[in-house]
Amino acid sequence: MSETRITCEVNGRKVARTVATHKRLLDLLRDDLNLTGTKEGCGAGECGTCSVFVDGKLVKSCLVPAARAEGARIETIEGLAGMGPLTPVQKAFHKTGASQCGYCIPGMVMAATNCLRLNPEADIDEIKERMGGNICRCTGYTKILEAVEIARDVIAGRRPEGDLDTDEPLGDSFIGHNVRRIDAPAKVTGRLRYAADMKLVDMLQMQVLRSPHPHARIVSIDTSVAEAMEGVECVITAADVPGKDGFGVFVHDQPIMARGKVRHVGEAVAAVAAEDLLTARRAVAAIKVEYEPLPVIGTPEDAIAPGAPVIHDYAPDNVVKHIPLRKGNPEAGFAEADLIIEDSFSTQSVEHAYLEPEAGVAFVDHDDVVTVHSPSQNITHHRHMLADILGLPINKVRMVMSAVGGGFGGKEDMIYQGMLALAAIRTRRPVQLNFTREESLIASAKRHPSKVSYKMGLKRTGKITAITFDMLSDGGAYGMSSEGVMRKAAILSCGPYEVHNLQVDTRAVYTNNTPSGAFRTFGGMQAQFATESMMDIAAEALGMDPFELRRINMYRKGSITHTQHRLDRASLDMVLDAAETASRWESGAPNVRGAARSDMGGPDTRQPCTLGARIVAEAADLSQGDHPTKASTEAAE
Amino acid sequence: MNAITQTSADTRRKRGRGMAASWYGIARTATIDRAGAWAEIDDGGTIKVVTGVTEIGEGILTVLAQVAAEETGARPEDVTIGDNDTARSPEAAHAGATRQTYMIGNSVALASREARKMLFEQIAEHWDTPEDSLRAFNGEIWVEGSNLRMTLSEAVAICKGRGVVPVGAASFTAHGTGLHPVDGKGSPWQTYVFGTQVAEVEVDTWTGEVQVLGIWAAHDVGRCINPRGVEGQIEGGVVQGLGQALMEEHICEGGHPTTHGFAKYILPTALDVPQINCIIVEDEDPTSPLRAKGIGEPALVPTCPAIMNAIYDAIGVRMKSLPATPEKILAALRMPPGGGARITWNNRPAGETLT
Amino acid sequence: MLTYDAYHRPTSLPEALRLWRDAPEGSRLVSGATDLLPAARDGRLGDVHLPALIDLTGVTELRGYDFANGHVALGAGTVYQDFLTDPVLRRALPCMPYVSIWFADDQIRETATLAGNLVNASPVADGTPPVVALNGLVELSKLDGDAITSRRVPVRDFITGPGRTVIAPGEIMTRVFLDTCYGYGGAFQKVGQRRSLVISVACCAALVKLDESGRVFEDVRLALGGVGPGPIRLDDSERMLRGEPLSEELMQAAAGLAAEKVASRSRRDYRRDVVVSFVRAALSEALSNAGAKAPLQTMEDMANV
Repeated sequence: MSETRITCEVNGRKVARTVATHKRLLDLLRDDLNLTGTKEGCGAGECGTCSVFVDGKLVKSCLVPAARAEGARIETIEGLAGMGPLTPVQKAFHKTGASQCGYCIPGMVMAATNCLRLNPEADIDEIKERMGGNICRCTGYTKILEAVEIARDVIAGRRPEGDLDTDEPLGDSFIGHNVRRIDAPAKVTGRLRYAADMKLVDMLQMQVLRSPHPHARIVSIDTSVAEAMEGVECVITAADVPGKDGFGVFVHDQPIMARGKVRHVGEAVAAVAAEDLLTARRAVAAIKVEYEPLPVIGTPEDAIAPGAPVIHDYAPDNVVKHIPLRKGNPEAGFAEADLIIEDSFSTQSVEHAYLEPEAGVAFVDHDDVVTVHSPSQNITHHRHMLADILGLPINKVRMVMSAVGGGFGGKEDMIYQGMLALAAIRTRRPVQLNFTREESLIASAKRHPSKVSYKMGLKRTGKITAITFDMLSDGGAYGMSSEGVMRKAAILSCGPYEVHNLQVDTRAVYTNNTPSGAFRTFGGMQAQFATESMMDIAAEALGMDPFELRRINMYRKGSITHTQHRLDRASLDMVLDAAETASRWESGAPNVRGAARSDMGGPDTRQPCTLGARIVAEAADLSQGDHPTKASTEAAE
Repeated sequence: MNAITQTSADTRRKRGRGMAASWYGIARTATIDRAGAWAEIDDGGTIKVVTGVTEIGEGILTVLAQVAAEETGARPEDVTIGDNDTARSPEAAHAGATRQTYMIGNSVALASREARKMLFEQIAEHWDTPEDSLRAFNGEIWVEGSNLRMTLSEAVAICKGRGVVPVGAASFTAHGTGLHPVDGKGSPWQTYVFGTQVAEVEVDTWTGEVQVLGIWAAHDVGRCINPRGVEGQIEGGVVQGLGQALMEEHICEGGHPTTHGFAKYILPTALDVPQINCIIVEDEDPTSPLRAKGIGEPALVPTCPAIMNAIYDAIGVRMKSLPATPEKILAALRMPPGGGARITWNNRPAGETLT
Repeated sequence: MLTYDAYHRPTSLPEALRLWRDAPEGSRLVSGATDLLPAARDGRLGDVHLPALIDLTGVTELRGYDFANGHVALGAGTVYQDFLTDPVLRRALPCMPYVSIWFADDQIRETATLAGNLVNASPVADGTPPVVALNGLVELSKLDGDAITSRRVPVRDFITGPGRTVIAPGEIMTRVFLDTCYGYGGAFQKVGQRRSLVISVACCAALVKLDESGRVFEDVRLALGGVGPGPIRLDDSERMLRGEPLSEELMQAAAGLAAEKVASRSRRDYRRDVVVSFVRAALSEALSNAGAKAPLQTMEDMANV
């Protein structure tokens, strides 16, 4: 590995380092200068978390060779405020609550700073365009954009600087008061350290060998070449697991590395801990695995077809979980209906796409406690499972939840902590594993793709008389949260409506696709997408306003739910009224009346985005001389 | 001029609106849920709170600081929240299931109340006043209807001078029950929330692109602890819902994923977000100390169907397979109009298809 | 992960050409490096090891631009952001600001070069259709002994297929020659699932010049990308419009011809639909930007910005 000497100015200070020639500017900043406020979210220039200024221009440091920094002037998130007070942009982010998980925020602050440096008068459309290269998964961007507009107005002197530090007066309670996020200063300055930002003395780097096959028997694994490589401290496989292998939120069907066979592309097969990342990657490439491909189940329909290959021996029918609900008499309910609607709906596999890829550090402490720091959403359960896997008493396993850069359910599964713990035990050194974005996409759970067949009977009055609801979901290769997701999908299935006669079935099955697991709404979204589409189809058929149809059927105090739970209270009437009023909803049946509506285009909507806000604005400036009057230019805007 | 582009403007971009309602349960589903917390009113009138699971970005640290401050009389900025560590803090289970404010918020409230009770016992004796005459807020403690008043910091010093460290520990329980294996009968949650969203969209019938221009999101969150935080959850949920509605898709072909990175897995950016109008509805939960419910997950449930219903309103095609990409919209526009649902009227010819 | 044993950042063209000529087999030239670094990752090329990386961003001869004979000669170091920020370039190349705004994002535009986009010859590159519409020529230079020799190749001939060009060993693209199009209206159309940082399924660049009456197409340039192995100039559509008075029917007919050009096998129906719409939309927008009197469609667009 060749090395290069780099001398440059970072945040106003001269620095010189000798680094591996192939490093990126991002690596120089994070690894060699310990400026970990600059985050790596994707490594491919798609997310913007690594944005820094180089000679005054904002660039994505994952796309810049470190050696190009020679002689350059670099400014990172840490340099914006330095030792002084927060900048107006940072203060505005703090004020509006623009940071949530905080992982995208250093990049967002940099993009906002760049926008206002280039055009202190940027309007909202230009601000959006200039921040279009930065992805946030938590905030919906709204409070970020609000913050940039406030900062712009303060910088332009249109708004007093004191506004950044003042909030609405405190009443007689902190409850209901807009207390500022207590973690925001750490996030807007890049000071908060996530697991990938941790550095421990003597720490090894882990890399993982992953399956290229969706379904295959592992004939043999030869780690000898990898183990013999200089700098490699250990190579681990399922054979090294000392206890009872298996994790999962409901069923413990997943080994920490593939055992006997692989069930999806990207499944961990072996892992290496080495002195540095490059050595670990090269060692992974030197592990030889012989596979015998098995028939692949690519769809949930194939999984339940007669004679389908079996993915897990314990589940010969490939069913992870079936949840039935039965209430009343659907047959009688349909007989009573004036109108019967049948349709089907499907949803796709969705990635959580938290900006922080999975990362963790494990070590064995002075009391022989195996300690894992990771952005886990469930350290309690992970501790139980890891103790079993390692064959240790529960107080010899310690899980610490590091700062979580977004979860949305995707960090509930213990997909890498076991490998880290095992390698730490084997080497007695701290071990770190930072997923790449590609690894995160291929190895972490997704939202269950689902298909729903729906039948709904209604009276002419709009009252629902019966529903049959049948959902088939792709659980992917492992159980993870499928059971719970199917349960929640069933409970919520037919929406917030009192239905006296129903038959609901939700089923998740094993396939050789990327596993599905917990994801914000836990099946509720897939189910209610179908129900709410059906409600509008029904409203059109009945010539009824969609709010009205929902009010006719909605849960009220005393209603009996789909699981026959009597409700002591229900607030659907309140939220229906609130949404209808706030949106100035024009009543009418949903019969393609968009062209005839008069309630659209209000001040509470945005303008369509056409791109080129700054071109139009600048074209107007440029063409001043060509036009006889300024009025004509303004008219053209 | 000219009739040319006038016609285009009328026919190319079409707008519409749709709505959808939703419901959701708070905390773990169809099982008992629990969370523990410890609290200490510390020197200087500061507060130490330790609980097993906290922030994943939703703002729970701030909510807990507000709750602990409210319950003890401190200020939120005086609250320190301990690490999430299985070896150093009480179990609070997991960060998910829209349970943080409800489960951990209530356990922190209860633990803080216990600590406050220890402090109040000592101060009541010190001032020789009934315990229930004491009030504390925003860093001060006083006797209602008197001029006895001191800082919380002074109160802690007095309490400790009397040999007492004001601490509290609490566990909060949500009593869900499992579902019957045959008919699914059960009480999965002890509190529910409801939401309704309206979407306004513009569909470009030349390219199939959909832009969501406005969302009105009304959600019952129970007693609202931090309105800005709730808005942040709604805004984030809406945009995740929008992503699922229009662009996101992780694809496996025969078991082989083809969406390897963010160049292929398309996420919404600042240019895609609608104006989001949040309406926070507070139907307080009478059964729990904080009277709060939750918002994390419910926020995104109605977004997707509201957008699909709005697309139908605009162009008369019902998108039943997500995501509604430009390609799928154009393909749907090539099909005969109508939703394609099978609609049967009793007393009318069977099998009539909706047009 | 991209690794390399040697990194060179020459400061002059002769030095760059010499390094490139003498570089070991498998070495790579980069300018922005915004394509190479993302390519060397799992799911694409995987780990890539190069003997040497030669970074051209320090070469002074590749910076800036000159005007001559109705052309602008852009140094190969010209980055996309220049087309947005440099008023001289904006006037000379009226479609390029619109191309740039659709290209990636502000950060990437600061380092990504038009020349790099051409050399990579991606079928979905945003940069190729406008260059084809601007009758682009590329200048390829190499060392002949110690002397620098150059040849010029029309972009239409330069790109021979996806990722394939006629560039020869030892050659570096040094300049891109484009027609200056003063007084033209420019436009660029692209569609994807979102409006930023997205790889298009198809794109269209348009340039329109009106005669003095403002009612007749004096010149029209149209090119498509993403619908075949390389960019496609819509010569038939241009011929149909050139010299003709503006009319909806004619524009629609000209747009209709574009459907026949779609060669991509994947998602063909969609691409055929979309390119026709694109050509219509691009013409309409370019007309507006050319100062056509009250082209209402695009006036609405402008008002919406």
